[in-house]
Amino acid sequence: MDYYADAIYRALKLIITLDAEVIEVVTTSLKISTSSTLIASIISIPLAILIARNKFKSKKIINIILNTMLSLPTVVVGIFVYSLISRRGILGEFELLFTPIGIIFGQVLLIIPLITALIRNVIFSMDEKLYKTAISMGASRRQKFKLLILEARYGIIGSVIAGFGRVLGEIGVSMMIGGNIKGVTRTITTAMSLETNKGRFAFALALGLILLSLSFIINFVVYFLQEGKNYAKR
Amino acid sequence: MLKDKIIEVKNIEKNCREKKILEIDNFIVLKNKFNFIVGGNGSGKTSLLNILSLVDQDYKGELYYKGEKIDKTNENLELRRKFSVIWQDPYLYRGNVFYNIALPLKLRNFDSKIIQDKVKKIAKKIEIEALLDQSAFTLSSGEKQKVSIARALITEPEILFVDEATTNLDEESIQFFNSHFADLVTEEMTVVMVSHDRRQIKLLADYITLLHKGSVKISRKINDFNFQLFGAGIETPIAELV
Repeated sequence: MDYYADAIYRALKLIITLDAEVIEVVTTSLKISTSSTLIASIISIPLAILIARNKFKSKKIINIILNTMLSLPTVVVGIFVYSLISRRGILGEFELLFTPIGIIFGQVLLIIPLITALIRNVIFSMDEKLYKTAISMGASRRQKFKLLILEARYGIIGSVIAGFGRVLGEIGVSMMIGGNIKGVTRTITTAMSLETNKGRFAFALALGLILLSLSFIINFVVYFLQEGKNYAKR
Repeated sequence: MLKDKIIEVKNIEKNCREKKILEIDNFIVLKNKFNFIVGGNGSGKTSLLNILSLVDQDYKGELYYKGEKIDKTNENLELRRKFSVIWQDPYLYRGNVFYNIALPLKLRNFDSKIIQDKVKKIAKKIEIEALLDQSAFTLSSGEKQKVSIARALITEPEILFVDEATTNLDEESIQFFNSHFADLVTEEMTVVMVSHDRRQIKLLADYITLLHKGSVKISRKINDFNFQLFGAGIETPIAELV
């Protein structure tokens, strides 16, 4: 038992004393995840509304592809992006491999389907009268779009946070594209994997506890945005 | 009489999933009058109202506003902003009652001080001042409808469209609606109303149109309307009016 107790004790000590290496890894992770979530959201929100609100021929197939991509393994995205940005790839000249931007690129691809599908469902479940009422109130096309986003805001924020949770906890893209370079592309998950292999169990555990806490906070927020008991009152 | 018409539609045809739901050769809305549209379920009343109020622009045929043909491919924002609609089952947006009533003015970029004054004034008229800070989701259906009436009237529309506004309300709310409605509508306002309520027709109607299976069966001034034409079911209660 000493082994566990000791590891947990040292892990908590690392967190409480704000160990520089722990902080560095966590900030790198948060920076990368926040950027990729933001970029993916900017693309996904209009895309989701487009899919939910328009009738077009290929809609069914797009929805099936979208649903398939929800369970996309991170390593598959990793290989795909690697093939694009490695030296011989189409985007090789930009030298994105082993850079934070490379990871962000991969993560954006990873969560666009997730955020898009979740927001599509939110928009799809909105009351049809919302649009008719907006037109009858004299809303322009832009105002109608704005009203829709405002009306669906809690669902949209919830979807975006779910995307953030996914990139924060993924390891495939970060490892394959980022290369786990200390201080540059070393994220919580890649550091955990490396440090465990190196035998620095307490250090990995500290990061694990932080990741778990972040996940808890994310899920807590999502729950209250989507299913909180005061939902009807907002 | 011709110059009194504010809206005229010609050769309207509306299909819904390959089923023809509306086919109207000619229909007019008289200026500054209470224009009633009556008819049974599925007679196309609401579809016609949607077309007249420019909410629905996906149909065949022409619509004229003050003699000018309206381009259906255009957003017609300016014209739409002269209209207001009160729906049978009103949709209120997330937020409090004040926000909902103020929304049409916000969309028209009114100054916030003017909005404040106008909302208070209309809320007082409709007796919902006490609800202004309340969330729209906590209202009863009668209160919701009052809020949607305030929201429709706050822009002082040139034409007010009313789609069976009282069908879902209880007796008390209907009476409130009937007794207040004529006061709320100004002299310059034109009203197009879809209704089943014969008291409303008796109280308010100037001009009445009967729809049947998507086409106009009869359309004339209330004085010479033959209520027998309503057909079985509606005929008896309506006949009591004359």
